[in-house]
Amino acid sequence: MTMELEYNRDLYGVEHEAGPFEITADLIQIFNRSIGETSAMFTDQATAQAAGYSGVLAPPTLVTMLVRNVELPDIELNFGVMRFHAGQRVQSRAPIVAGDSLMASSHLKEVYPKTGRSGTMVFTVWETTFTNQDGTVVADVQESYASRE
Amino acid sequence: MPDQNGPFFEDIDMGDEIGPIELVATDENVSTFCELWGNPMPNRFTSQEIAEKSGLPGPIVPGVMSMAIMSQALTDWAGPESLKDLDLVFRQPIPHNKPLLISATVTDTREEDGENIIECDVLMMGEAGERYVGGIAIITLPSSGE
Repeated sequence: MTMELEYNRDLYGVEHEAGPFEITADLIQIFNRSIGETSAMFTDQATAQAAGYSGVLAPPTLVTMLVRNVELPDIELNFGVMRFHAGQRVQSRAPIVAGDSLMASSHLKEVYPKTGRSGTMVFTVWETTFTNQDGTVVADVQESYASRE
Repeated sequence: MPDQNGPFFEDIDMGDEIGPIELVATDENVSTFCELWGNPMPNRFTSQEIAEKSGLPGPIVPGVMSMAIMSQALTDWAGPESLKDLDLVFRQPIPHNKPLLISATVTDTREEDGENIIECDVLMMGEAGERYVGGIAIITLPSSGE
């Protein structure tokens, strides 16, 4: 039996934008420190420049921290009393380098139910595309939130 | 340009195991991460009291941060520009200051659009076998002939 979900379907196709986000060497350095990252391409400008980049590379998941800056609407889902961050996906499309300026654009990707051993949960997936100052898409991030009864 | 000390595509076979690589998220790491992330502190990621009010035994590592840690382990192994896709499910709360064991199992190797691709099942576990985070990673590697 298909579960009929109630939520605001008018949100499909609507983009929610934020930015610009300046990717500074300091931002990358603090991110590196928080996770113990020491790779020279992420930490040493001379190494990154020797590889042909204008500055240090940003680790591929740095953009995930920026997603929370996009103001997303309530989808008015009529299900569940508890909501939690269930999963996340990052697809790297192009290098992100210190000095880049990124824009974010988010949209509702899908809402679907899933029934398992612990009962039924409804997953809400938002997808955010990051584009740099040259108009190049550098990353896509999907965040999945589960609502549980 | 992958790290010259990293593996070559030809060195990898289906079923190969990577790791486990042991990393730890300390209280200081999590506070630094939350500050940068813009999450107002104290919160359930940094405060024992707030975590307990949320039904947790203690402050936990944010899911976003656990992804960054898994990414770090994979790029340490394969090279800084190697990770193309990381798709994770957050299965259990992750504690601070405990060993996090990150491993991967190669499930496919292929050449696609001129790239050498390996696909892996990835897992972050605790010392007692807790399965904190699981998912799939797609990594590109250089050829030994390049």
